[in-house]
Amino acid sequence: MTSPRSETSTNATHGPPGVLRGIREAIPLLGGYIPVAVSFGLVSVQAGFGVLETLAISTLIYAGASQFLFVGMVASGAPLWLVVAMTLLINLRHVVYAPNLAAWLTPSRWWPWLMHGLTDQVFALAHTRLPQLPERQRVGWFLGAALLAWLSWIAGSLLGAVAGEWLTARWPLLGEVMPFALPALFLVLVVPRFTSPRWALALTVCVAAALAFTLNGLANVGIPLAAGLGAFCFFTLRSPRLPGRSR
Amino acid sequence: MSVELWIALLAGALGTYLIRLLPLLWMQRRLRQTREREGSESMPAWLAVLGPMMIAAVLGVSLVPRVPDTAGWVATLVGLIATLLTWRRTRSLGLPVIAGVATFGAVIVAVRLVLG
Repeated sequence: MTSPRSETSTNATHGPPGVLRGIREAIPLLGGYIPVAVSFGLVSVQAGFGVLETLAISTLIYAGASQFLFVGMVASGAPLWLVVAMTLLINLRHVVYAPNLAAWLTPSRWWPWLMHGLTDQVFALAHTRLPQLPERQRVGWFLGAALLAWLSWIAGSLLGAVAGEWLTARWPLLGEVMPFALPALFLVLVVPRFTSPRWALALTVCVAAALAFTLNGLANVGIPLAAGLGAFCFFTLRSPRLPGRSR
Repeated sequence: MSVELWIALLAGALGTYLIRLLPLLWMQRRLRQTREREGSESMPAWLAVLGPMMIAAVLGVSLVPRVPDTAGWVATLVGLIATLLTWRRTRSLGLPVIAGVATFGAVIVAVRLVLG
């Protein structure tokens, strides 16, 4: 893996091409994606969907929580308009992701298509890495990272649909341990942003609120709510007593 | 799968894609207009703060272990500490994740052995 602090200036002339770099840096995402995708594949088949249908859901919708909701609601006989509405409602948090990356996106016709791959995790990675990369590597980097994440999600879903039951029975510990790659990665992405007491407090409140929401069964709505709460803390902490008022 | 279900799937997929795409087009247009007007691009302050907050929120959500028992929570805490210490030493993305996952797994096994 690369060092975010030291490489900015050297990357323009050295280092692997953007696509390879993106693939390499997205590898930690697999630890979280594959076990969850395997679970989705298994749940989808158990809910009555075929293998191809499961793959179609993972390929086209490509948004973890809403996919679980989609198959669960369909299996329970919910009206289809409600299924679609709830799917979109859960994914509505993605609305703030692309605008946050826009300033670092170089002119390219690829970007609109690449937005299909803008998941929570890819956003978190891209928000940290895109500003550090030379401009000419950014499209390639995003393509590599997003493609690896997308394909691993599809492959995991296929694995879950075909052999999920056997896999979870055979290696239960693996399915429990590998998802820790996600909080570990997010921690590494968040920690460098603790640049002042103001940021530290707002980010800590945000993490704690998101954890509390999740423990109360509100994981998806908890992401935008906790982020809003953290931002609220940040903007209300304008007290002159606090050092480090800069962003 | 019925035709109606396929339509629902496609509607969910298209809607999700547009949720990801349309804000990008809006922001790119806004940045272009700001650049033409003021000579430089500017992102709204609230949006610049919301980005890191969304990452912190995703971290908070992902902290709950898959099996939220004593071993799971202890392993999460120790795993995070290991991740943090490795990051402080290496300032990289991958090594801290590997160290965190390995520690998490080892602590899960150890705590369960101790607790029986």
